[in-house]
Amino acid sequence: MQQSMTGSDCVVTVRGAVAVLGERAVLHGVDLAVPAGQVVALLGPNGSGKSTLVRAAIGLIPLAAGEVRLFGTPLARFRDWERVGYVPQRTTAASGVPATVREVVASGRLARRRPFWPATARDRAAVDEAVELVGLGDRADESVANLSGGQQQRVLIARAAATEPDLLVLDEPNAGVDLPSQEAFARALRTFVASGRSVLVVLHEMGPLEQLIDRAVVLSGGQVVHDGPLPVPAGVAGEWQHHHADSPRAAQKGLFG
Amino acid sequence: MSLLDYDFMQRALLAALLTGLAAPAVGTYLVQRRLALMGDGIGHVALTGVAVGLLTGWAPVWTAIVVATAGAITIEVVRARGKASADVALAMLFYGGIAGGVLLTGLAGDTAANLYAYLFGSITTVSNGDLLVIGALAIAVLGLGIGLQPQLFAVCQDEEYARASGVPVRLYTILIAIMAAVTVTVAMRTVGLLLVSALMVVPVATADQLTRGFKATFLLALGLGVVPSVSGVVFAYYVDVAPGASIVVIALLGFALAWPLGAMLTRRRRRRADGEDPRLAGRHVTAEEHPHQHSEKCGHPAVEHDDHTDYLHDGHLHAAHGRHYDEH
Repeated sequence: MQQSMTGSDCVVTVRGAVAVLGERAVLHGVDLAVPAGQVVALLGPNGSGKSTLVRAAIGLIPLAAGEVRLFGTPLARFRDWERVGYVPQRTTAASGVPATVREVVASGRLARRRPFWPATARDRAAVDEAVELVGLGDRADESVANLSGGQQQRVLIARAAATEPDLLVLDEPNAGVDLPSQEAFARALRTFVASGRSVLVVLHEMGPLEQLIDRAVVLSGGQVVHDGPLPVPAGVAGEWQHHHADSPRAAQKGLFG
Repeated sequence: MSLLDYDFMQRALLAALLTGLAAPAVGTYLVQRRLALMGDGIGHVALTGVAVGLLTGWAPVWTAIVVATAGAITIEVVRARGKASADVALAMLFYGGIAGGVLLTGLAGDTAANLYAYLFGSITTVSNGDLLVIGALAIAVLGLGIGLQPQLFAVCQDEEYARASGVPVRLYTILIAIMAAVTVTVAMRTVGLLLVSALMVVPVATADQLTRGFKATFLLALGLGVVPSVSGVVFAYYVDVAPGASIVVIALLGFALAWPLGAMLTRRRRRRADGEDPRLAGRHVTAEEHPHQHSEKCGHPAVEHDDHTDYLHDGHLHAAHGRHYDEH
C-alpha cells in the first residue's frame, strides 16, 4: 500500500493538502491516494472536510498548501479532463430554463468536444448509453425538473458516465436518493469498476455500495484518522459511528463495530 | 402608400428583426444563469455610453457599446470574485448608469429629452450606418449563441461541473456578458435601453411555459422575440408611440396567452405513467439473445458478485442463470 501511495500508477495523489475556506481551515495536511483500478471511499462526519478534499483534488478549490496530481500530472498542468467524471453533491439538476435529461447528460461530452464542432455519432451514442446505464432511457426527452430527486441525481451520474472517464469522482451520490436509485447506481458503478477504472467516492452512508469498496479513508476534523480496508476499526470510526447511531441501516449491518 | 415604401421603415423593420433574434439568444443564457436582470443593468450603463457620444460627437452606437461592455465585464468580475453579491453589483450599475447618462447629457448642453429616443426606441432614427453595425453585431451574437451552445449551456447550467470538465468558465461567462452588452446596443434603436431586457427575458419565459428542453426553448424564444419586435414597430408606425412600449406590451400579451396553455400541457404530461426500468426494481431481467457462453477464458472481464460471477459484456454485466444470462 505504501508503495502504491507514491507510485505513478495512482490516478489521484494528494499530499499535505491544506485548505482554507473563508477564515476557517478545513483540511490540515491531508494525504490521499487512489491507485488505478481501486474504489476508495471517503468517510467521516459532517464538516470533516470530505467534500472539500474531493473538490480540491479536481481543482475546484485552491489549496493553501500541498500538491495534487491527477494521473501523475500536477493539477496546474493537467489537461486530460475527459479522463475525469465528476458527480457533484446536488439536490437538483434543474436550472432557470428547462433542459431534457439528454441535454444535461450531453454536457458530459464537453471535455471531448471542440467549440463550434457539432456532436459526433460517438458523442450521441455515449449519451444514449449513459442514459440507459442509469435506467432513464424512457425519460430521456423529459425535463429534468419533472424527475424525482433520486432520478435527478441519476442524471448527474449519467452526465459523468457520458464522459467515458477513467476516474469517477462522486460527492455523496446517494444523499437523499431513494433505494431503487441507489441500487441502480451501485449496479452502474459495478459495471464501471469491472473494466478496471477507478472511483473516489464521498459517502455518508454505505448503502448498496459497500461491497464495491476496496479501501476506506476516514476523515475527522480535516485529518485522516483511518486509511485501509473495510471494515473500519471501531476506534477510529468511533465518531463516525456515533454520528450514525440513529441510522438503523448502519447499525443493523454491524459494519463498523 | 405601404409602410414598406419608406426607407426608414425598411431599416426599422430590419433592425427589429435582428433585435428580435439576438435578444432572446443571449436572454436564454441569462435566464438559465438566473441573471435575468443583467440586461437591465447593462441597458442603464449603456445610457451613460450614449451620453458620452452626445458629449463628444462620436457615434452613440460605438460609445454605448464600449461603455456597456465595460459595465457588463465589471458585473461579471464583481460577481465571480464574490466581492459583492450579483444583485448589489447590478443595483450599483442601475444607479450609476442613469445618473451618469443624465449628467453627461446635461454637460453636453442637450436636454434629457434627447435621450428619450434611446430610452424607448424610435423608428425614424435608424440610419444606414447604424443598420450595418447592428446587422454585423446581431449576426455575431447569434453565431456565438448557436455555435457555442453546448459550452454556454454547460456553463450556465452547472458552472462547477463545467469547470471540472476543463471548460474555461471565466472566459465563457465574460463572453456572455459581452454578448449581452452588444445586444443592448443593437436593441437601443428599436426597443430602447430601458426596455431591452424585456425582449431578452419575456420570450424566454413564454417559451419556457411550453417546452421541456433547452434547445426547444432557445429556438421558440427566437421566434417569440421576432414576432413582437416586428409587429411592435409596425404598430408604432400607425399609432405614434415609442416602439419599445408596443414591443414589450405585445411580448407580455404572448406570455399571458402561453400561461394557461403551458399549465394544460404540464397537466397532460403529469398524467403519463411513471415508468421505471425493471432492472432497477431488482426484478428478473434476462439478457437479449445470447449465443455466447461466458467462461473464465472468453475474454470478457469476470467480476465476483456475492455468490456468483458476472461477465462484463458490451457495458452490461451478465450472470449465468440456468440456460440464459441475466442482466446484473
